[in-house]
Amino acid sequence: MSDIVTGVLAAGRTGRTGGAPGLVVREVLGLRTASLVARRGAATRLSDATLAAFGAALPSTPRVAVGRGATFIWTGPAQWLVEASSGRDDIEALLAAPCSAFAAIAEQSDSRVTLEVEGPRVRDVLAKGLPIDLHPAAFRSGDVAVTAVAHVGVYLWQLSDAPSYRLAVVRSFFGSFWHWLISSAAEYGCEVEAPEHRGQSVR
Amino acid sequence: MNKAATPKQLGRLAAGGLVDRGQPLSFSFDGRSLEGYAGDTLASALVANQVRLVGRSFKYHRPRGLLSAGGEEPNALVELRGGARREPNTRATVAELFDGLEAVSQNRWPSLRFDVLAANRLLGPLFAAGFYYKTFMWPAAFWEKVYEPLIRRAAGLGRIATGPDPDTYEKAFAFCDVLVVGSGPAGLMAALSAARAGARVLLAEDDFRFGGRLLAERRPVGDRPGHVWADEVVAELKSMPNVRLLRRTCVFASYDHGVFAAVERVNDHLATPPEFEPRQRLWRIVSRRAVVAAGAIERPLLFGDNDRPGVMLAGAARAYANRYAALAGRRVVVSTDNDDAWTTAFDLAAAGATIAAVVDSRESPPVSAGAGLPWMSGAVVRALGGRSLEAVDVRTAQGGAHRIDCDLLAMSGGWTPTLHLTSHQGARPRWDERLAAFVADQLPSGMAVAGAANGERSTAEALAAGARAGMAAVEAVGLRARAADLPSVPPEPTAQRALWRMSGSAGKSFVDFQNDVTTSDIELAEREGYRSPEHMKRYTTLGMATDQGKTAGVNGLALLAERAGQPIGRIGTTTFRAPFAPVAIGALAGPHCGAEFKPVRLPAAHRWAVEQGAVLVETGAWLRAAYFPRSGEKDWLEAMTREVTTTRSAVGVCDVSTLGKIDLQGGDAAEFLERLYVNGWKTLAIGRARYGLMLREDGIVMDDGTVSRLGEQRYLVTTTTANAGSVFQHMQFCHQVLWPELDVQFVSVSDQWAQFSIAGPRARDLLRAVVDSRHDLSSEAFPYMAAADVRLADGTRARLFRISFSGEFAYELAVPAAAGERTVRWLMQAGAALGVAAYGLEALGTMRIEKGHVAGNELNGQTTAYDLGLGRMLSASKDFIGAVMARRGALTDPGRPRLVGLAPVDRAARIGAGAHFVAAGASPTAANDQGFMTSAAFSPTLGHWIGLGLLAGGPERLGEQVLAVDLLRARSTLVEVRAPVFVDPAGDRLRV
Repeated sequence: MSDIVTGVLAAGRTGRTGGAPGLVVREVLGLRTASLVARRGAATRLSDATLAAFGAALPSTPRVAVGRGATFIWTGPAQWLVEASSGRDDIEALLAAPCSAFAAIAEQSDSRVTLEVEGPRVRDVLAKGLPIDLHPAAFRSGDVAVTAVAHVGVYLWQLSDAPSYRLAVVRSFFGSFWHWLISSAAEYGCEVEAPEHRGQSVR
Repeated sequence: MNKAATPKQLGRLAAGGLVDRGQPLSFSFDGRSLEGYAGDTLASALVANQVRLVGRSFKYHRPRGLLSAGGEEPNALVELRGGARREPNTRATVAELFDGLEAVSQNRWPSLRFDVLAANRLLGPLFAAGFYYKTFMWPAAFWEKVYEPLIRRAAGLGRIATGPDPDTYEKAFAFCDVLVVGSGPAGLMAALSAARAGARVLLAEDDFRFGGRLLAERRPVGDRPGHVWADEVVAELKSMPNVRLLRRTCVFASYDHGVFAAVERVNDHLATPPEFEPRQRLWRIVSRRAVVAAGAIERPLLFGDNDRPGVMLAGAARAYANRYAALAGRRVVVSTDNDDAWTTAFDLAAAGATIAAVVDSRESPPVSAGAGLPWMSGAVVRALGGRSLEAVDVRTAQGGAHRIDCDLLAMSGGWTPTLHLTSHQGARPRWDERLAAFVADQLPSGMAVAGAANGERSTAEALAAGARAGMAAVEAVGLRARAADLPSVPPEPTAQRALWRMSGSAGKSFVDFQNDVTTSDIELAEREGYRSPEHMKRYTTLGMATDQGKTAGVNGLALLAERAGQPIGRIGTTTFRAPFAPVAIGALAGPHCGAEFKPVRLPAAHRWAVEQGAVLVETGAWLRAAYFPRSGEKDWLEAMTREVTTTRSAVGVCDVSTLGKIDLQGGDAAEFLERLYVNGWKTLAIGRARYGLMLREDGIVMDDGTVSRLGEQRYLVTTTTANAGSVFQHMQFCHQVLWPELDVQFVSVSDQWAQFSIAGPRARDLLRAVVDSRHDLSSEAFPYMAAADVRLADGTRARLFRISFSGEFAYELAVPAAAGERTVRWLMQAGAALGVAAYGLEALGTMRIEKGHVAGNELNGQTTAYDLGLGRMLSASKDFIGAVMARRGALTDPGRPRLVGLAPVDRAARIGAGAHFVAAGASPTAANDQGFMTSAAFSPTLGHWIGLGLLAGGPERLGEQVLAVDLLRARSTLVEVRAPVFVDPAGDRLRV
């Protein structure tokens, strides 16, 4: 068990040194996120609403839809995680105007720790705990998995073909997850980059 | 090691083989320094050094040599390495040689050559089948104290390391279109055919080198040596991005839906794993199609003393000579019932050995045989010699008897397809009389078998079968396969006429070498009625050793069939179960051991609690502060007492973030709550909280907590820490299955919010310091059970609840988790002038017992609302889950154990949870049991111990005295039955 809590990851190289790191990881701070759950029978109208307000229809399969100012990540039937592109104060307010008639909105900014992972061995590292096939034939940019890594619940989605991925890890389990990640990456070398702030830090 | 002292490898051929003579490796066996080459196994290096005696048998401590050259080895089990890395029961035949390897033989004392317990042989009759059940039954008292320890010492299979394993293990997931198990001719062709068609192929090979049987044969493939052809195929496969090659990887189990388990011995071939690398890796392989090309295992022949060191499987003797350039004997007799062993005779002759005779149980040898080799029609009936073979007795078909001097007997009773993976899901193989073998019958969906594993014994057949299986697999996954060119292979005879037993054999004839099961044991079992193969197995222990009877199974079944007068196909096999080969527990555990055994949840303010010196305690997955000791406090009791006293007299702060929190919204949210909880919700106003109780369908209490109405259609549901997950699941079930028509949406926000209880008469003063001053916190504006969104003075968005678990005037303040740590620091700093104390779970527990609040101890899955004094909460004006069942007579019987408070009559006495109640003066028997103490604590407020308990008819017995019998702590205490609320029963403190 690791005592690590979010926001204090020490930047630097861990595991095998020399050569390019197999895994590069950074925490993304300052994101505002919320869960969006369609009201009964309102999924289509909700999707129309997000399309009108943000230019993105809601995915009905495990996919990510990137809109203007908000990204919608499928997390279950008629459920999405919304990431606001700017760290504005109140994501519930941002979503309420277009969506509240069709959805329950609940802020989740602090529910999960968000990491970005990439590097030549990123798939090999994740394969040590992720029961999901990340081969390009099975999982592409914009695909989402709602799953568990080493017994810790995560949302995972692919950001780019590099490949790079976003991992949203249940906050209270993050210490255990981090220990697993760093141990799993050790044989390939791991570069922990300084956290990246998206938007201003808000209170 | 001292090279000068290392003897030459007298059994090593001057040329040939797949060992690297440029890379000598030093190793030791039982302390003797020896030398081998890179490419050797421990077994082949021992052969090269003419070490014949490698172990003692399990029961009789008979001297044993190598039987095989592969994973089926029953005899050559050794301990490898030393110290915390010592590893018993390792098969020398699969242990890859490395420089500095230390190996020690097992089952002998004091030494391998001179073994005291070999006297067991003289006691042979005592150790017959079922000896456990017969010999040691009388006198009964002797079993545990005398017999078992003696047998354990005699029979021990090596010694495990006692220190913690210094190495690491990990798990990994792999996905593929086609999994190919085994890289012999069939496996390579299957992988190649599938890979060339573009399929994602995973090829797993148990050995450290790809090629399977091709590595052990001289027969050319495509006009070049088989291993060269294999290397070329492997090179092509390696060059393809759609192929993953895993060597040193044993696929040991198959499951539904194309899932396989495999263990990769990543670094077993090194003395210690390189830094950052695991010793072994457990793979979970998910395949769309699988080709099992796991080869075949040769069967021994059954004759007297067939376990003498120097009696070896013919295919193994050939493998040692061809692959490892190590000659297992100079003067060789080959004994066989099939054509294949003739290849051994030719290959050993070519390697320079003298073939004294080939003894073939059939009338005539294969057409191609006979060329220059002396042979006779007959069978070996006995092996002679002690620690090493010296001669064999042969009986010819004509009845003649011959004694032939030899130091190696290469025997073959035919080949058994390795079909374990086809049977792990329950399919039974079928007997094929022509092959004299069991072959797979009905295969699991998506699986194919090819090559020797399917009875396709010649190299040409195996290549063709592999290609077919590979093509069929890729076509099944929607790709187009192209017929591969098959390399040409010279013809090879593969005929057999099974000889199950030599008539006229004398001496012990071993079927299961590792468990010392003989032909007469099987006969005895049959005679005593153990005629099912499963019964025979358990009675004789055949097939129950670490090798799981790989060389023994079919021979045993054939003998049983013969004795029972039934065809072997009707007798059938025992059940094949995973794992195919032993797997270290460490590999199964992977990284989840020690502190990482399971994930741990940390509250947002964990760092702060640690800084405060909190003593932490595991509560479910959470790590929480139990108490915050200060210097001078001698134990938890003192710290808890101070924390309670400070809270009740001034103010205390407790992290209660672990409670489950569920955001519930929707037009039918109130109706949903009405059905979930026993009490009513439609009158709950916005900005107010209410205590709620929910039942299971059977009327037993499931959980309790508060629900706050945050908006017109928005509620915040809280659960106990323990039931956070199960209540959420329950709500999901109710919504998705029972009432999908309700418009409700709910998500967990447990991790979104850090929450702190601020309790005590100065709680409002403390909050005043951190909450934005525009919020009116007076009881008029924010009364008991109020709930509101607020801002803290620093702008943080927060939620404030006027609720109390401690019974004090109290609030709970929730802030976004990222603000949790700084908020608690702020509260403690702002509260310093008020004398604030942080309090932990101990104080929390004490205060709730003082207040008579039920918690997990009382919500124990056996209690009803009625039992807990909450029966009046059950609304009569609506339906809810558990409503009908909760009103069953037996659940509302006044005589049930029901909640009461308890205090020791002697106020100085201590009481503990778990004590059972009996009437004063009654004896502490189950018949007199009247209930038990669920919770107990020292009450700093009252100055003595108090408890809560479930007492039969309790609420009607206030003022009575009963005996609390605590057998665990060996004390009985007279206690007074009281109402369960000890502190502030009228609730005045809550409402100030």
